[in-house]
Amino acid sequence: MTAAKLVINEIKGYHRFIQLMIALTGVGALAALARFIFGLGVTTNLNDTYPWGLWISFDVVTSVPLAAGAFTIGVVAHVFHIKKLEPLVRPAIITGFLGYSLVCIGLLLDLGQPQRGINVLLYWNVHSPMFEVSMCIMAYTTVLTLEFLHPVAERFGWHLPLRLLRTLEIPFAILAAMISTLHQSTLGTFFLIAVDKLHNLWYNPLLPLQFWLSSIFTGLSIVIFEASLVHKYMGQPDESDLLATLTKIIPWVMGVYIAVKAYALAFLSHGPLFDRPVLLALFLVEMVIGVFVPFCMYLTNRIRTDKKLQLRAASFVLFGLVLNRFNVSMFGMEQAGQQIYVPSVIESLVTMGIISAHILFFVLIAKYFPIFEHHPEATDYTIPDHFRKLEKGSEGLKAAHEA
Amino acid sequence: MSGGHIDFNKTKSFLIDTTKCTGCRGCQVACKQWNQLKAEKTVFFSGEGYQNPPAMSEYTFTRIKFRDYQKHGQNEFAFYKEMCMHCNEPACASVCPVGAFKKTAEGPVVYDEKRCIGCRFCMVACPFGIPKYEWSKAFPLVRKCTGCYSRVKEGLQPACATACPTAITYGNRADMLQEAERRIKSRPDRYFQAIYGKEEAGGTSVLYLTHQPLDELGFKQVTKRPLPSYTWQALRLVPGIFLGVGGTLSAITWFQHRKERIRREEEFKNSRVKPEQKEEDQ
Ligand code: SF4
Ligand code: SF4
Ligand code: SF4
Repeated sequence: MTAAKLVINEIKGYHRFIQLMIALTGVGALAALARFIFGLGVTTNLNDTYPWGLWISFDVVTSVPLAAGAFTIGVVAHVFHIKKLEPLVRPAIITGFLGYSLVCIGLLLDLGQPQRGINVLLYWNVHSPMFEVSMCIMAYTTVLTLEFLHPVAERFGWHLPLRLLRTLEIPFAILAAMISTLHQSTLGTFFLIAVDKLHNLWYNPLLPLQFWLSSIFTGLSIVIFEASLVHKYMGQPDESDLLATLTKIIPWVMGVYIAVKAYALAFLSHGPLFDRPVLLALFLVEMVIGVFVPFCMYLTNRIRTDKKLQLRAASFVLFGLVLNRFNVSMFGMEQAGQQIYVPSVIESLVTMGIISAHILFFVLIAKYFPIFEHHPEATDYTIPDHFRKLEKGSEGLKAAHEA
Repeated sequence: MSGGHIDFNKTKSFLIDTTKCTGCRGCQVACKQWNQLKAEKTVFFSGEGYQNPPAMSEYTFTRIKFRDYQKHGQNEFAFYKEMCMHCNEPACASVCPVGAFKKTAEGPVVYDEKRCIGCRFCMVACPFGIPKYEWSKAFPLVRKCTGCYSRVKEGLQPACATACPTAITYGNRADMLQEAERRIKSRPDRYFQAIYGKEEAGGTSVLYLTHQPLDELGFKQVTKRPLPSYTWQALRLVPGIFLGVGGTLSAITWFQHRKERIRREEEFKNSRVKPEQKEEDQ
């Protein structure tokens, strides 16, 4: 049997849903190809009034916080050393790795001169938020790739890289949080320049802080979301005990977010808030359904044990975040009386392809690499290094105590 | 980025007196000629009144806007030349990740097309909506009024200023401001009491005088603060936040792991001691 046949047979064995994802990814790739052949003007509905559209709003501004699970759970598990959460880290890193790789692809698709993307490294402009975000995304994608090598090394039994990666686990978690803090917030800084364009409901100098805070609670929520779905549809172990820990952390961050947002709206906006009914409605939906409702859900005691409620609260948060990012980067930027932007078919197909690719690769990676098997009963987390056994150190200490 | 060392009194600036503009559109034609821009197929009345083309584009760097109004029961026109404002502290330059835009010491804000990666942030950032994109091309670039830098550098005046029979004066910014103030003072009934561009977006190299209130003519109301300062107030914190987050998290890690280490040592000690004691007891 040839390799191609092997692959085809393998695919035939997949679930219908996965086959659909493969098809959508393929269509998305074709649509992306069309964009390169015919150009942005023909294939998208972008124009001089709307230089940024769906690809920036979703593939970059929304996808980045949606991929924030990797850094937030990394901090919770490694920095705050809540070790039992370890099984959640790896799926989050895979999601982050895929998310950021796809953000890079989305960004390249949107650039008018993608072949010159490298110029960002050649001509620095530290005054540009876009410069900072590009640098961060490149750096963080590298970190995530290295972290992703972890299960790969385990799968193929490469001991040396595994040792190195395990040693670097904590420094990487910290580095990831440092880089993520910068670019998650700087995505908000993007819109600070749109001073007379972005509506006052969203425009205020604390926008970067709000972007950062919302990326944290969304990152943790997406971990819940993902773990619940994976348990439901992929037959993986039920992690709702571990998720309960997260449901205790999230409301704190959301609380701070609500406070910052209320303060900014009350004291830092510089114009009328209620002059555009449609925007006001969008804002209310975002805040009530996307923030207050899940906030209250997270505060209940039931959510610590109720799997369904966990999933529901997480879904509301995700909805709120997506709407918030679209409000800031698209709806809130539309001026009264301006023609309304609707993405073209090709733009939509590409974005659908990107989402499908994400799901597809996640499932495939989970199928072929040890992603969920990373449980304390099955895995020994210590660094596979015989020269630095823990006992030795403590024996020395004990000796010191006795002396 | 614009350097801090540019003397904005000496940058060359346009003083456009819309009360003297006849709407001949000589500037529009001169600009097309000098920059070798293609003609656009347009239909009349696709924009407001007689103005044509309906908007600036990759082929049109400047354009006369028409505004109809009534005076003493008569229909009148007001005209307004739209072009890049050549801001003292340009938003387009500050947001560009590769620094493709630059404020020159002579005045014009110029664009280096070899650097541009096509992210279109400049278009989002410009408060006047000036940079336009080559939507017709597969690998598009940004286009906008060059301030005729190639001419100005050699001591000539911009093509549009040369072509204009009545309304455009070109010279050092300080002189243009002085001239504008003088006109406003000497003919208070002729002029609306404001110089558009004196403080808009932190000051620009294009200054307008009008008869009508600015918003009636379609001038955008723009913040007086230089736009780059809005993003810089957040971006300047970046190095501190980066190191701060790193330091804090490292400290927490150390602390949390130390707690764990101590706990394990205790456990270890206890577990070692207990069995021995038990043996002695038996
Ligand atoms: S008007 Fe716009 S394009 Fe011209 S210099 Fe100012 S910010 Fe740049
Ligand atoms: S489109 Fe080009 S000039 Fe404009 S900000 Fe992006 S890289 Fe700079
Ligand atoms: S300065 Fe030059 S490029 Fe700008 S509008 Fe005038 S002629 Fe056109």
